[in-house]
Amino acid sequence: MGDPEKQPGDAEASSALAGVLAEFASAEALVEAAAAVRAAGYRRWDCHSPFPVHGIDRAMGIRFTPLPWLVFAAGLTGAIVALLLQWWTNGVDYPLLISGKPLFGLPANIAVAFELIILFAGITAFVGCLALNQLPRFAHPLLRSERFRRATTDAMFISIEAADPQFDAAATPQWLQSLGATAVELCYEPVAGRAIPRPLLMAVVVLASLAVLPPLLIARARLVKSTEPRIHIITDMAFQPKYKMQAESPLFADGRAMRPPVPGAIADGQLQDDDHRYRGKLPDGRFATTFPMPLTEALMRRGQERFNIYCAVCHGLAGMGDGIIPQRTTARGKPWLPVSLHELSVRSQPVGQLFNTITNGIRTMPAYASQIPVEDRWAIILYVRALQRSRAATLDDVPAELRDKIR
Amino acid sequence: MHLNTTSSHLGDEPFTLGDSATAIVPLATAAGLGLLALTAVLGWLEHDSFRHFFFSYLVVFCFFLSISLGALFFVAVQHLSRAGWSVTVRRLAEILAGALPAMTVLFLPIIVPMLLGSSSLYAWVSPAPHDELLRHKLPYLNLPFFGVRAVAYFAVWGLFGRYFLLRSVEQDRSGDPQLTLKMERASAVALILFAFTLTFAAFDWLMSLEPRWFSTIFGVYFFAGTVVAGLSAIILMAALLQASGRLRWAITTEHYHDLGKLLLSFVIFWGYIAFSQYMLIWYANLPEEVVWYRARNAGPWGITSLLLLFVNLLIPFLGLMSREVKRRKYLLAFWAVWLLAGHWLDMYWLVMPTYHPACPPLGLLDLGCLLGLSCLYLAAVLRVAVGRPLVPLKDPRLGESLAFENL
Repeated sequence: MGDPEKQPGDAEASSALAGVLAEFASAEALVEAAAAVRAAGYRRWDCHSPFPVHGIDRAMGIRFTPLPWLVFAAGLTGAIVALLLQWWTNGVDYPLLISGKPLFGLPANIAVAFELIILFAGITAFVGCLALNQLPRFAHPLLRSERFRRATTDAMFISIEAADPQFDAAATPQWLQSLGATAVELCYEPVAGRAIPRPLLMAVVVLASLAVLPPLLIARARLVKSTEPRIHIITDMAFQPKYKMQAESPLFADGRAMRPPVPGAIADGQLQDDDHRYRGKLPDGRFATTFPMPLTEALMRRGQERFNIYCAVCHGLAGMGDGIIPQRTTARGKPWLPVSLHELSVRSQPVGQLFNTITNGIRTMPAYASQIPVEDRWAIILYVRALQRSRAATLDDVPAELRDKIR
Repeated sequence: MHLNTTSSHLGDEPFTLGDSATAIVPLATAAGLGLLALTAVLGWLEHDSFRHFFFSYLVVFCFFLSISLGALFFVAVQHLSRAGWSVTVRRLAEILAGALPAMTVLFLPIIVPMLLGSSSLYAWVSPAPHDELLRHKLPYLNLPFFGVRAVAYFAVWGLFGRYFLLRSVEQDRSGDPQLTLKMERASAVALILFAFTLTFAAFDWLMSLEPRWFSTIFGVYFFAGTVVAGLSAIILMAALLQASGRLRWAITTEHYHDLGKLLLSFVIFWGYIAFSQYMLIWYANLPEEVVWYRARNAGPWGITSLLLLFVNLLIPFLGLMSREVKRRKYLLAFWAVWLLAGHWLDMYWLVMPTYHPACPPLGLLDLGCLLGLSCLYLAAVLRVAVGRPLVPLKDPRLGESLAFENL
């Protein structure tokens, strides 16, 4: 920008012509003149007014700004970037399960997508607005005009650049005068070169040098070995006011930070106060002869499934004691046979005793309490009872409508 | 200057409704009552203590109530912000809000059966003796307090709805600018009371359908839909009146453009609030909160929820984004109709899963209630509009509104 004290024209003789500036008395005159300038075919020109003048954009033939499309595209980009970022970081690169949610669940990711839409759209609107207005710009020839200072208070102007193909240094100012301009003056490029001011240049160099420092320090810290403890930036996260497992605490008489459970406390689901259900015994200590739950088709099917998984490998699918393990030991010359479930000694046992056997094991049979839940043990016993009955069945056990089929 | 502008524009165009509107009022009332009676008979034939009928009625009642409430909000905000642009469309909103006392009458079919002991609609009216949770909520959810609150809501809405209408019409005669100042002062009180009454009305009438469920943002959710419905109704009214040869001098492209901008922003706001409610509940995954969305997440109701997302947010968001759409009144009116339909779907989605969790029970009862209440609401609005100017003729900001330009 020029020196405010310096009158325009001081250096005009030696500098290039930048354009012509015409002042108009009112907004209406400005709009009329603008329409005329447009009709005359000028391309590189502009209007200047201290307030928005309605209709001036139509008179000047300004096309609607493409900025909304840029912002829309940036918003879409923001949404896609956010979703891809979250999908990659949380779903693929470092899968982290958070409270059973899907690794890539849309509801959780919408919030970040929303923020990035706003961020991208906002930055694009700001930068796009500057770029479309060819800003930032350090100086403009019009700013050297003393008269032009009133463009922000109380005067209206039209400026036509000398670079316009229609521009004529002699004819254009006169023509503007004929449009009703109250004053017309020529503007010149600044004499001084367009070089960036030295102090500004120095400041940029210093700032740029300083900006290199943090990355250098980080790079050094990563490459050089040190015996010093690491620097804790967030100390209250590294040193939390809490006790760890098995730590000491002066707060309690026994010096232990971990407190033992209250005497008699039982963990959730571990009460097992029903002897019949959990141990197969009656209150008088004898084995129960009944099941502790209603007998259903579903329980039977469950029992069959569990039996075929856990029991059939030794006892055989039909309970004959001919599972794949005894078959294999026999084939290798070391015969070993489990008991057949159809022997009278097994058939005569009450169900409570069978439950006890599955739970605790007997002779070479190991305990199955840790593999088979209580419900499933009873289900298996029910199925075993069905197997036993099927081996000693009579025609009376077959439902009437099926008897014809087995004859 | 303003008054001159007005009178010169007034010319021979009518600025009130014609005689046919006066004739429609009793016809629409009779048709509406007849249709509702017929629908009630259909509801009685279902032998479910009118349960289906009450639910269908509540959907449509809330739909029309929210149009009037949205209009009341619009009027109050224009006064509070001392808006100049909206003066020419404000009377339309004042008329819609002026119909709020009539909504009191339309609420009677809901509350009178409740007072007579019916718990068809709200299960909390007669909670089971062992239902601890409902008994705990009894201090709020009980019939006498429910009735008192309903009276308070309608008193506030009816009072302010009539106040803004009558003061504004009074200004048509006297031209007293003091009335504008009075309304500006009243608008602040109106908005505070509006916020409370609308929130608690949404809790009482919609949220308490599922008395075990709660969401603190629910009132804001209802409010967002309410403003969308109100703005849509104003746009639709303006377009219809202009199509009938009225208000052509008063409402310009610029007014549609601004109404469209508001509509778009509240469509986004609705989506923002709807998602806020959904995401927090989805993420926390607490049993007492997710029940409500579980009922709306699977099967036909799940499809309805998705439909809601597209109809009320994604499609109108893209549809209303362009400046060109907002500046074409019939295109904008199309989106107003679209969003009103979407708002009806929203109300249906809020209410109906409680009645029929398996699938949307669309049927004659819904159609009957919709047609019947449409007739009654039309009659109520016309009754307010007949004989009153459709524009605030002597509002001090009328000139500003007529000269309003977006760019």
